[in-house]
Amino acid sequence: MAAPQLDQLDTQLVDLLSRDARVSNRRIAAELGVTEGTVRGRIKRLQQDGLIAFTAITGFQLEQRARLAFINVQVDVDRVRPIAQIIADIPGVNAVLITMGQFNITAMCLIDDLDALVELASDKILAVDGVHHVETSIAVKTVKYNARMAKITKPEVVEDDD
Amino acid sequence: MSQVFSFDATDVAIIRELRANGRANNQQIAEKLGLTATTVSTRIRRMEDADQLRVVAVSDFSAHGFNVLLRISVSVDGRPASEVANELAALPEVVAAHMVTGGYDIDMLVALHDFDDLSGFLLDKLSGVRGIRTLTPAIVVDIIKYNFEVAPIESRSTTSATGAA
Repeated sequence: MAAPQLDQLDTQLVDLLSRDARVSNRRIAAELGVTEGTVRGRIKRLQQDGLIAFTAITGFQLEQRARLAFINVQVDVDRVRPIAQIIADIPGVNAVLITMGQFNITAMCLIDDLDALVELASDKILAVDGVHHVETSIAVKTVKYNARMAKITKPEVVEDDD
Repeated sequence: MSQVFSFDATDVAIIRELRANGRANNQQIAEKLGLTATTVSTRIRRMEDADQLRVVAVSDFSAHGFNVLLRISVSVDGRPASEVANELAALPEVVAAHMVTGGYDIDMLVALHDFDDLSGFLLDKLSGVRGIRTLTPAIVVDIIKYNFEVAPIESRSTTSATGAA
C-alpha cells in the first residue's frame, strides 16, 4: 500500500503532538506560524488517513500486567489470516503480527505472571483450530521501545474541537 | 524515583475519556464526568508529573515512510547479551529491542524504508556489532492488531510544569 507521505508541516505537527497531545490548536498554530484552521484541518486529515491516533499511555503502575511476552505460533498455512483474527480477539492479546519465517503468527501480550502466559499460550491459543505449535518468550528487559510509533489499526473517530 | 503512585476511580475515569479522545479539552471531559475543569486539569497534571500518564499522538510506521518491518531474533556468543542489546538499540533502524528468555537472547523490531535498505543494514551496521552469533528474521507481512496503551514512560526532561495557560 502506497503510504501518504508527510510534508514538513505534517512532520512538525506530528512531532509536537507526539510529545503532548493536549496542546490547543491555538498554541500549535502560534508555534508553527500557521492559522488555527490549518492546524485543525491537518490534524483531521492525518487522523482520517490513519497516520496518527491520539491515546493516553499509562505507566505500569496502573495495571500489574508489566511483562511483555511473545507467543510465536505455527498454524495451517492456508488459514493464517482467519486464525490471526481469532487470536487477536482473545482478551489479553495486545498485538498480532503475521510473519514470514519460522512462525506464521506472533502474538504479543502483557502478563502479570507465568500462569497468565501459560493460560494464554497453551490453553487459549494452542486450542484454536488450525494452530499446531506455540513457543513463548518473555521480555526480561526492554532496552528500547517507542510507544509513539505503532500500527494504527482501528479507525479513529474524528471530531471537531475548539 | 521509586515512590508508588496510586490511581483512584476519578483518575481511571479521566484516563478512559482520554483514551476515547485524547484531544478532548478539560471542559468536555469535566462535563462528561460531572467534575470541574480545574479538577480534570489538576488530575491530568498530577499523573503526568508522576510519569504515569502521557497523552500523545501515536503515528503509524507508514507515516515515517517505514514500509518494511522485520522481527529479528538474535543469539549472542562471547559477549554479555545486554552489551549487544544496547549497541543494537542505538541503531536508528531498530525501533524496539528486548532481552528475552527462550531460544534466543534478544528480540528486536527493525523498520526500514524498503528492501533496498536491508543490505546496508545487514552488511554495514549489524555486521559491526560484536557478539552476534545468529540472526533469525521474520518478515512482518501484516499487522492484525497493535494496541499498547501501557508502556514504559520516559521521564519528561522538558518544561512541563511551566507556562500552562
